[in-house]
Amino acid sequence: MQIGIPKEVYPDERRVAASPDVIRKYVEQGFTVVVETGAGAAASFTDEALKTAGASVAEDAAGVWSTSDIILKVRAPMAHPQTGKHEVELMRTGGTLISFIYPAQNKDLLEKLAARSATVLAVDCIPRTTRAQAADALSSMGNIAGYKAVVEAANAYGSFFTGQITAAGKVPPARVLIIGAGVAGLAAIGAARGLGAHVRAFDTRPAVRDQVTSLGADFLEVTIQESGDGGGGYAKEMSPEFIKAEMALFAAQAREVDIIITTALIPGKPAPKLITTEMVESMKPGSVIVDLASEQGGNCELTQPGKLHVHNGVKILGYSDLPSRLSTTASQLYATNLLNFLNIMGGHKAYTVNLEDEVVRGALVLHNGVVTWPPPPRAPAAPVAAAPKPAPVVAPVEVHTASPTRGPARRSFIYEAVALLSLTAWTYAMMSMKGTASVEAQNFVQHATVFVLACFVGWQVVWNVTPALHTPLMSVTNAISGIIILGGMLQAHGEVTSSAAILGLAAILLATVNIAGGFLVTERMLRMFRK
Amino acid sequence: MEQILLSVSYITASILFVLSLRGLSSQETAREGNFYGLSGMAIAVLSTMMSGTVTLYGPLVLVLVLGAAVGATMASRVEMTAMPELVALLHSFVGASAVLVGLSSYLGTDSHHGPRTILLIELFVDVLIGAITFTGSVIAFGKLRGAIGSKPLLLPGRHVINLGMVGSCVALGALFLMAPGVEGMQYLLIMACIAGLLGAHLVMAIGGADMPVVVSLLNSYSGWTAAAAGFMLSNDLLIITGALVGSSGAILSYIMCKAMNRSIWNVIFGGFGAEAPSGKSVTPVIAGDTREISVEQTTAQLMAARSVVIIPGYGMAVARAQHTVQQLTTLLRERGTKVRFAIHPVAGRLPGHMNVLLAEANIPYDIVEEMEDINPHLPETDLVLVVGANDIVNPSAERDTGSPIYGMPVLQAWKSKQVIIMKRSKGAGYAGVDNPLFYEPNAFMLLGDAKKTLEAVVARLPQGQSKAA
Repeated sequence: MQIGIPKEVYPDERRVAASPDVIRKYVEQGFTVVVETGAGAAASFTDEALKTAGASVAEDAAGVWSTSDIILKVRAPMAHPQTGKHEVELMRTGGTLISFIYPAQNKDLLEKLAARSATVLAVDCIPRTTRAQAADALSSMGNIAGYKAVVEAANAYGSFFTGQITAAGKVPPARVLIIGAGVAGLAAIGAARGLGAHVRAFDTRPAVRDQVTSLGADFLEVTIQESGDGGGGYAKEMSPEFIKAEMALFAAQAREVDIIITTALIPGKPAPKLITTEMVESMKPGSVIVDLASEQGGNCELTQPGKLHVHNGVKILGYSDLPSRLSTTASQLYATNLLNFLNIMGGHKAYTVNLEDEVVRGALVLHNGVVTWPPPPRAPAAPVAAAPKPAPVVAPVEVHTASPTRGPARRSFIYEAVALLSLTAWTYAMMSMKGTASVEAQNFVQHATVFVLACFVGWQVVWNVTPALHTPLMSVTNAISGIIILGGMLQAHGEVTSSAAILGLAAILLATVNIAGGFLVTERMLRMFRK
Repeated sequence: MEQILLSVSYITASILFVLSLRGLSSQETAREGNFYGLSGMAIAVLSTMMSGTVTLYGPLVLVLVLGAAVGATMASRVEMTAMPELVALLHSFVGASAVLVGLSSYLGTDSHHGPRTILLIELFVDVLIGAITFTGSVIAFGKLRGAIGSKPLLLPGRHVINLGMVGSCVALGALFLMAPGVEGMQYLLIMACIAGLLGAHLVMAIGGADMPVVVSLLNSYSGWTAAAAGFMLSNDLLIITGALVGSSGAILSYIMCKAMNRSIWNVIFGGFGAEAPSGKSVTPVIAGDTREISVEQTTAQLMAARSVVIIPGYGMAVARAQHTVQQLTTLLRERGTKVRFAIHPVAGRLPGHMNVLLAEANIPYDIVEEMEDINPHLPETDLVLVVGANDIVNPSAERDTGSPIYGMPVLQAWKSKQVIIMKRSKGAGYAGVDNPLFYEPNAFMLLGDAKKTLEAVVARLPQGQSKAA
């Protein structure tokens, strides 16, 4: 089976869908790999290196497209800017294509591909589940985009990121606002923190708060409570009230910060407009906005996709090729994602388009010319925030489950039942005893009733004590058990010199030490507990 | 009329005690809880004083002031690391006090008219439990203090000795019941001595690592003894309060035992470590060697880690290193490192001992996590720092069916990316079990006194490099 790697034709696209390392692995598995000449040049992979890895080099695009069973690409197929010939026309009938497709935006492309009876797997449609994480190109590209956004911002910004006090004066640190804490946003936080900036981040999904703070940024919040978790690690569109509060927050932030990096995307919809013209105008001249959503229309009203635009001294970077600007690593990671995806599909030995496989089915947009997109909805497998997991800056995704109620609930229920039963038995015994038994026995039963009841209350109350407070609990109950002092006091009558009174007084002395010591030490301990 | 007033104040006091226990259920309300307890006690004491039974006001006030002064001095001087000892010592006072009350009451029974069998039984039980609590607590105090060796004292045929002592107590009890007037005093005193021996012997046979269970068990006893006194004196407040304390201590003991995966009988009669693994002693000889790490390397690892979990153990308490741990935590947190604490339920020598120490060092309690909450997060943790803990991080508890601690839930430190174990020496923990964690490929030993070593680490960390820098 032959894998073909054509050269990308999109203007200024420097990435390529395979690297020497990955090609070596394909060849090991038994694939034949054909690479178009110069395909890896912009990513610093020479034809020589690719050949050494085991690929053969074809002279032109047609030589790759027409002979390969599986085409691996970065960008969706398009008309060649020079020749005008559409890449799909080069494809062999019934071939397979794996690349970014964006089927929602590219209906025409799907039709063209369908006409070639192609099987197409869209990298951007791979479900973001745990199993598919290794194939998640959106994450690896997002990670790179976030990093590069900070580097571009630092380049365009007229000052340091880190604060410095020098002999020539003090330079305050740059204040960076990052909107959207997905993979790209988190990578941007990490990079900006690494450069020494003060970073704050906003996201509609409260679940990412820990990830944001774990990277050392402040998490901004609006006063309205609404979760923006749209499943699958994506955000959903928010209510008008929420958006209003959010916009007020951004407006306030815009006046303060030096750099804004926006990464807000809602799948299948144009990017939400979050930074208005007024906000831009309220920013200090020299400030920088990097709009990572520029390809989907941009989060800033003034973004011009693909360009640097200056408005009132504020630089707005709308570059849509940030991953491509880190072409070597972007290609290496993307190629590995594709390798992992092919392995999920069975690798060379068992390559098959398995419709039962959730990952494959999700990515499959065309099957032998039949449109299979969008895939049937599946029970959302736990909205693993597998998505926001940038490689080097892994922010642990914490699934906060309600902490289990203390004390074994079921068991205590049984005990309750037993306690109730024995109480009933007690009462019955008391009733039937009345009049027949001696006063002493009656008294005893009465006391026993109180005793059992008190045990029950104690049992109920103590299970709720948090383990952290076990020592204070013990010292407070210890102090309370000093109640034995009453026993001593009841003997403190008659002659002072009588043995009973002396023993009683001694008991009081010991019990008082216990009471004073117990309560005081508990107070000392509890004073230390702070949030 | 007076009787009604007394009942009302007793009910109020009981309610305040219940509220006190409930207040302790969370950090926010804990101090209120303590205040409720104190108010309940004040009401109980004052109303009893005014009930008319008490006539010796002068000596009474004198002993109250004296006792309060002694107690307050002890409480304000004690170091948090010595908390277990103090609690054990205070328990012994309750026990002793109960014995004295019992003896005193017996002298008072002379004037008692009518049948008094039940009364005498109650009295007998009060003195019995009181004496056990007294000597047991004194021994526990000595063990915690280090004055008595922490190794379990296992006399040959000790179960027989215990049974013999219980038997003679019962026999003395029979004689005591039959004695007219106050002539049973001698039996009562002999019984108190035997019960005292029994208490001492029981606690002597328990190893240092099981002290959390023992202390909470004695806590429970001190409650039961107060309840027994309540029966004896027909005083409901004593019964209620004693029962509250007794059940609280019983629950704590249960929780502690569960945390060690052992039954209460096993703790009390087991003589842990001696009757070690039965039959299937498959304890593998651990291959390989431990690797040591220097202070410099430790500092570098701490600086490189994004998430750090600190597991404190008794070693931290012994070295009084909690303040140094706090400095380390602050510096790391200022760097943006996620620092958390993992507390094993039986870490230290008292339930919740570690929490108290960390709180003393001003470590915010919301970064202090319990075992079940933190274990799932350990695999994604960059660095686990074990400060003076051993058995609670021992993988044998999960892997080695022959290990004496097999089945005990432990903190899975070995699952993290890297573990640094701070220890005084390479010796085994209290349980006397070798710890394969030290031989794990991701584990490094940082040997030395916890406090000194940590101070060296803290000194090497960049100081005050907060976010503002």
